[in-house]
Order: sequence, then structure tokens, then C-alpha cells
Amino acid sequence: MTKTQKSVAGFSAMGVLLVALFLMNLSIGSTSVSLTAVWDALFGSASDPTTSNVILQLRLPRALAAIVLGGALALSGYLLQTYFHNPIAGPFILGVSSGAKLTVAFTMIVFLSKSRTPGSAVMVVAAFAGAMLAMSLVLALSTVVNRMSVLIIGGVMIGYLCSAVTEFLITFAADSEIVKLHTWSVGSFSGIQMRDVLVMTLVVALTFLGVLMLAKPIGAYRMGETYASSVGVNVRLFRVTLVLLSSLLAATVTAFAGPVSFVGVAVPHLVRSLLDSSDPKKVIPGCFLGGAAFCLLCDLLARTLFAPTELSISTVTAVFGAPVVLWILIKNQKGRERA
Amino acid sequence: MNELLKTVDLSIGYDEKAVAGPFDFPICKGEVLTLIGPNGAGKTTLLKTLAKQLAPVAGTVLLDEKDLNVTKPQELAKRMAVVFSDALRPEQMTCREAVSVGRYPYTGRFGRLSADDERIVDEAMAQVHVTDLQDRLFTAISDGQRQRVVLARALCQQPEIILLDEPTTFLDIRWKAEFLEVLKQLSEEQGKTVLMTLHEPELARLVSDRVACIREGRLDRLGTPDEVFEGRYIAQLFGLDEMLYDKWFT
Repeated sequence: MTKTQKSVAGFSAMGVLLVALFLMNLSIGSTSVSLTAVWDALFGSASDPTTSNVILQLRLPRALAAIVLGGALALSGYLLQTYFHNPIAGPFILGVSSGAKLTVAFTMIVFLSKSRTPGSAVMVVAAFAGAMLAMSLVLALSTVVNRMSVLIIGGVMIGYLCSAVTEFLITFAADSEIVKLHTWSVGSFSGIQMRDVLVMTLVVALTFLGVLMLAKPIGAYRMGETYASSVGVNVRLFRVTLVLLSSLLAATVTAFAGPVSFVGVAVPHLVRSLLDSSDPKKVIPGCFLGGAAFCLLCDLLARTLFAPTELSISTVTAVFGAPVVLWILIKNQKGRERA
Repeated sequence: MNELLKTVDLSIGYDEKAVAGPFDFPICKGEVLTLIGPNGAGKTTLLKTLAKQLAPVAGTVLLDEKDLNVTKPQELAKRMAVVFSDALRPEQMTCREAVSVGRYPYTGRFGRLSADDERIVDEAMAQVHVTDLQDRLFTAISDGQRQRVVLARALCQQPEIILLDEPTTFLDIRWKAEFLEVLKQLSEEQGKTVLMTLHEPELARLVSDRVACIREGRLDRLGTPDEVFEGRYIAQLFGLDEMLYDKWFT
């Protein structure tokens, strides 16, 4: 197979998978709905209002959120991997998601104590502030340590710290809201509404366009900073933009679904292998598609595997994602031994 | 001779602390100029400063009488290319992709290569004999091959001057000779300026039009190979026992 054929095949496979999983997410659940009934509900000719309610109010926004946020997570991971030239960097591992979680939990508690619910825009802003906070700690750390393994451990520690503070806040929050806060703080796509989907789609779509505009410098940056700057990349500006965009993506995910693990690390790697390319013009849209499909699958399993008990989304993403990270580590180790 | 690059009262170093300088010397159009000297003398630091990878601690670098600091990155990239030893090993990147990166300053917002760009990539790869490697992964070739791919990438930039940091270090004797031959051709046939550091004074003597000797952070001697290699100067430069020098190098 030539390179182009491989990418066409890869993209087609991901596209088909995405559509199939989307339909499965709409049809499978506590009440099983046939595909024709799903179709009827989507296009407003459903006979049964209860079914149409389940599809339109519950499953559709949830599936759309899994698509948008899954794509965003994978993309955020890809940008961080580009930034650090490290295949296992990602928003969850580096503590960026946990930073966002901390500020969102804080904002929720403040709002709830005044008996108000924060709007989704407020949540995104709060999450972005937290993501940037954690990100600046990681960046400060990266100026002191130059060993990547140490940096990653540092990121994990920052994540633990933020989670600890979040747990502390939740413990002392008003009783009635603890359940909701708790579900959110372990990561879940449940309870997302259509207007949330609109906000996240807007933010993620704009950020996605921004990332696409970076495709050219990302391509040059693959060979390292020295070469990137020698062909005319403004490295400082490029790096700042990478950090801002990846934090914004991770923050949006956390604002709506809480922290979701491993998608950001595993998906870009799987996508590069599937497309057999690291060309950002392919990998950027590939990551979005792959992340979307990955999260649809994981959310479907989280909902249905032990129904009516629902697993947290991170439980499922970790089961699939952690082995991929191990695989990357082993592969890199082998590569080093060969060199 | 026509000056392309020029250092003016240039002190170099890291974090505003000067480790070498001041330097005042020109690099002329079309010449092969090689920096030699013991490890830690400041050769690489000087090269990085001339490539605008490091800011000068004091003084300036002039490119065609214009301060390097005010030259736009894109414009500089069309005139100057580098072959340094710190290329990363990106995964799933073919050698052809790596070479194509050199077209960066010439392509549009999304970096799409035109037919012209593709032709220039072809020519650059042919010139350093890496055409056969184009579909291989950049990570899956030998150090010597990688060095030539990186040079092909530099040629794609169609620069007036190429800066190379110890380009022959990982090469065996055959590829050392081939690599230096390509550089010599670039200078003689295409009028490109080549500025590099070399570990091996004996190779510097063969390939260079002029040799600059850096010792303890200063320019100790600058001249044609014959001038520089006169007597036992090289032994002094490297702090080598003169008897050993006579035994091994003359």
C-alpha cells in the first residue's frame, strides 16, 4: 500500500467506526431502541414521546459530547506531545486536567453555596484558569529539570496535589450537591445538555481551526527546536500558542466531563500508527476522529457494562489507554537499545 | 573578497555571561571556512550565535551589513541553513518528509509543496546521494545517512550560506570524504558559503579555503591552511606534545 492509500484506508476506518459507534450509543441502553426508532426520533417522526425523549434529551447530547470532548482530548494530548517531544505527555498525566478540575470544583462550590448554578461559559473560563495554572507549574518545572521522565513524574505530582485539594473542597461542600460534584470529579459524560453541547462545540471548533493553522510549524518542529527555528519558525510564539490551545482543549473537556484519563496519550499514538504518518496535516484531523470514536466506545461500555450501575469514564479509558502507554514505553526502550 | 557574514566586537556565551570573544572577522562569499580548536574553546557557541540560535552577549553579527537581530526569521531561513548535531528522531517521518522541511520558508500557510518544491527536493536528495532513502523512516537509517539527509534538507532552503557543527563526527572514512566533497562542490560550483566546525584538523586542512583557530575563547589565528598549519602551530593549538605531533601528524 502506498502512503496515500494507507491514510485513506485509515481515515475511512475511523469514519465508519465513528458513525457505527454513534448509532450504537443512541440505540443501546437501559431501554433498547431500534435503529429505525432512533432515526424517527432524530428526524421528529417518532410515535412514542418517551423514546424520543430518551434519545433527544439524554443519549444524543451525551454521544455528541463524547465526540466533541473525545476529539478535543486527543488533540490536546497531541499538542502536548509535540511541545515536549515526548510520546507519553498528555493533559491528564501532566496534571493539566486536574488543575482545571480544581478550579471548576471551587467555582461550583462557590456558586452552589449561593444556590446558583454556574453556566457553561463560566465553567470553561474557570477550567481554563486552572489548566493554565497547572500548565505554568509544569513549564516552570521543565526549566529546572531537563530529564523528560522527571518532568512527567512532576506532572503526575502536580495532578495529585490538585486532586487532593479538590477532594478536600468536595468533602466540605454542602451535602445535597456532593453526589453531583463527585460524579463529575471522577469524570463522566452523563448529565450533559444540548446547550452545553453547543458551547463546547463552539469552543472546540474554533480551537481546532487554530490547531490546523499550526500544522505547518508542527511539521517543522518534529525535527527539534534548532531546525524549526533555522527554517523560519518563530519558536517562542509557536510554543506559547501550543500551550494555550492545548490548555483550552483540556479545560473545555474538564469543564463538562471532569478529568478523563489516557485518551490524550493513547489516541495520538494509535492514530500515528494507523495512518503510518506523523504528518500533522493528517494527524490533527486523525486525532480528532480517533479521540471521538475512542470516547464513544468507552462511554458506551461505561454506561452498559454493569447497568444500571455506571462506571466513571476514566475507569474505562484507563483499561484501554494504559496498555497503549506501556506499549509506547516498551517500544521506545527497544528503540534505544537498538540505537 | 566579498563579505557575507561579519562579526563585530562579538562576545558570545549563555545567560548574558560571555565565554568567548570578542571576535572581529569576516566570512566571505563562496569560501569554505572551518573553525578548529580544542574542545570547550567556544566553536559551537560561536556557530550557534552566527546561526541566530543564541543571542550575542555583546557586539553584533552582520549579514550583508545588516544586523542579524533585525533580520526576519523567514528571510534569514532563505539565506542561511544549518546542519547541527541535535536533530531529534521523530517517529513515522520519512526521509523525504525530513528533507521537505527545508522548503518551509518558501511554502504557504499550510506548507503544501508545489511541483517546483518537489523538484527542488528531488535535486537536493540526488546531490547528496540519498534518493534511495526517500521512503525509509528517518529513524531507521544510519547516522551517516541521517547526516546526509539533514544536509539535503539544508540544501532545499537554497541558502547562500550553510553552517555545520562537526558534520563528520559520526561518519566513517568513506562518508567523511563524500560529505566533504559535496561541501567543496557547493562552494566551488554553486558559490555557496560553507562555515563549519571540524574535529579533525587534517580534514580542515584539505577542505578549507581558510581556517579559523579558536583557543581559549579567542580567535588565535585565521588564514589559509598553509598559513595556519605552518610549523608546529597545530600542536600548540591543541596543547599536544610536539614529539607526539611529529610522530602522528607529519
